[in-house]
Amino acid sequence: MTQIKIYQGGEIPSLTRKIWHTFADNPFALAGLWAVVALLLLAVFGPLIAPYSAEYQDPRALLLAPSWDAAGTVEHFLGTDDLGRDIFSRLLHGAHLTFGVALAIVLTSLVIGFIIGSISGMMKGLKASILSHLLDALLSIPSLLMAILVVAVMGPGLDNVFWAVGIALTPQFVRATHQAIHEELQKEYVKAAKLDGANMIQIFWYVVMPNVWDTIIIQTTLGISAAILDIAALGFLNLGAQAPSPEWGAMVSQGVDNILTAPWTVTIPGGAILCSVLAINLVGDGLRSALSPINN
Amino acid sequence: MTRYLIRRLNLFLATSLVLFAVLFIVTNQFPVEQGFALTGILSPSAQQIAQINADFNLNSDSFDQFIAYLHQRLSGDLGISATSQRPVAEELASVLPASFELASVAATLAIALGLPLGVLASLSRHKITQHTIMAITLTGYSIPVFWLGLTLSLWFGVQLGWLPISGRLNLLYEIEPITGLILIDTLMSHSPYSVSAFIDAILHLILPAITLAVLPFTVVVRITRSTMITIMDQTYIKAAEARGLHTYRIVLRHALPNALIPVIKSLGLMLGAFVSYAMIVEVIFSWPGVGNWLVSGIYQRDYTVIQGGVLAVALSIIFLSIMIEVLHTAINPLSRKELYDSN
Repeated sequence: MTQIKIYQGGEIPSLTRKIWHTFADNPFALAGLWAVVALLLLAVFGPLIAPYSAEYQDPRALLLAPSWDAAGTVEHFLGTDDLGRDIFSRLLHGAHLTFGVALAIVLTSLVIGFIIGSISGMMKGLKASILSHLLDALLSIPSLLMAILVVAVMGPGLDNVFWAVGIALTPQFVRATHQAIHEELQKEYVKAAKLDGANMIQIFWYVVMPNVWDTIIIQTTLGISAAILDIAALGFLNLGAQAPSPEWGAMVSQGVDNILTAPWTVTIPGGAILCSVLAINLVGDGLRSALSPINN
Repeated sequence: MTRYLIRRLNLFLATSLVLFAVLFIVTNQFPVEQGFALTGILSPSAQQIAQINADFNLNSDSFDQFIAYLHQRLSGDLGISATSQRPVAEELASVLPASFELASVAATLAIALGLPLGVLASLSRHKITQHTIMAITLTGYSIPVFWLGLTLSLWFGVQLGWLPISGRLNLLYEIEPITGLILIDTLMSHSPYSVSAFIDAILHLILPAITLAVLPFTVVVRITRSTMITIMDQTYIKAAEARGLHTYRIVLRHALPNALIPVIKSLGLMLGAFVSYAMIVEVIFSWPGVGNWLVSGIYQRDYTVIQGGVLAVALSIIFLSIMIEVLHTAINPLSRKELYDSN
């Protein structure tokens, strides 16, 4: 006897589940997610699986071509640079410098920016406009200029890149949070909650925030890709990670001297940066279309 | 509208003041003597020390120092460069036009190519075309600009030998700078080879301009596409279709003006990243602009050059972003409604 299903109905999926389904429907976004997970694993475990150390110099294998080239060997899978250092190992050692530091920067500036942005977003009038416009001034100093100022004061180094890129990113989070909260506050359902007697904190956390999280998540993915590009660019200009460091941008700048004879010393680290930023942007794009209310 | 413009002017002044304050604080943190950081005179005579102390009010409290600093900087005294011993303001005047030229050519290129492509991408019902355009723009958005510049100069400059990869003009041509914009100067010069110099200047401009245009181009394509898709579903477009208008006319007259509004807004938000990219492109292609000058200034720890360059670039960003905002409000009647709200 077949069961009648009219009254049973399908299970209604939760919101998170719905978002995940929309996200997973997009194969590019899913591929990006896998790549990001792989990058995270590499940033943590990369140094363990690297065949050589980052500074190991093999004097018998200077400027060796990658293994798929006729001149290459499989011992140095992606070839070596002008000091005989294995590029594959350096990439693995550099993953946590480029990708890991970018994550740390974004998390720090996200927390600070979120707190300032929510305070200024919940306030009205002069105080709010002072807080948000003060940061507009900082927003107008792009990360590279900020890095130049920081380097002029503290000298070059990867720690100082942390401050430079962090100071340049924070205003973006402040602005995004401020605008999202400000927009939500003007809607009718907030007024209804106010009439119900909810206080400021309840309105902030239980009423407004659930509608603001998606903006912040999207802003975070944008921030991570911008931070990776900034760290690499500063490394390339010798203002960030310094010469023997396996940071990916610094690797490109160390390879520039040999670009005519050994183009792979530039192409491979550059390609690594491109792939990781691309993966994060794919995830960000997928999240954006999954979270946007039109699709739901 | 007047009230709005006054408020924007206020915002510009306040933001600039904050910028000056930031620069003042940073200047005092430089790991050199204060007088050197402010003026760039390495070993001043006793008379010069007295002059610096008087100019910058160095013996009073920091608020008076800030006022004196503001007064000096606003009267055009940016100190002298420690490496070239020339006034920073003079050097700035010679490098700014080059940057301006590169940035405006790149921006024009990006908008002129990006808008039509974005519209085409939105109108196309073909899955493969859509995916290809999205893949190209996403890659362009993710590519590190220094790597792109190096790769382009390796291919087109070195291996194919088609285009020059450094500087603005071949050293053989001697063009008297009039406006500082090389494309105009070569045309205006009276020398018999002005046309060939003009062509040479264009050839020098192609690679840096294309490298710099990639980021704004991808942003313009993506924003245009997504807005056009939303707009083409609106009822007023259906109404225009029902009146029997040609698609061409609907897109150009009815949809595109509305699609431009978010594009302009995104251009304003992108300004900071665009300037960072422009500086890197200038370094790679040895373009004698403000970015190249500023980066060599930081290598030489030339503190007056650093201050002058950061000040000029940040001020122009503030000015441009406020101008873009004003433009955005002027062409978008909906955003004007909010102006007269409580906030």
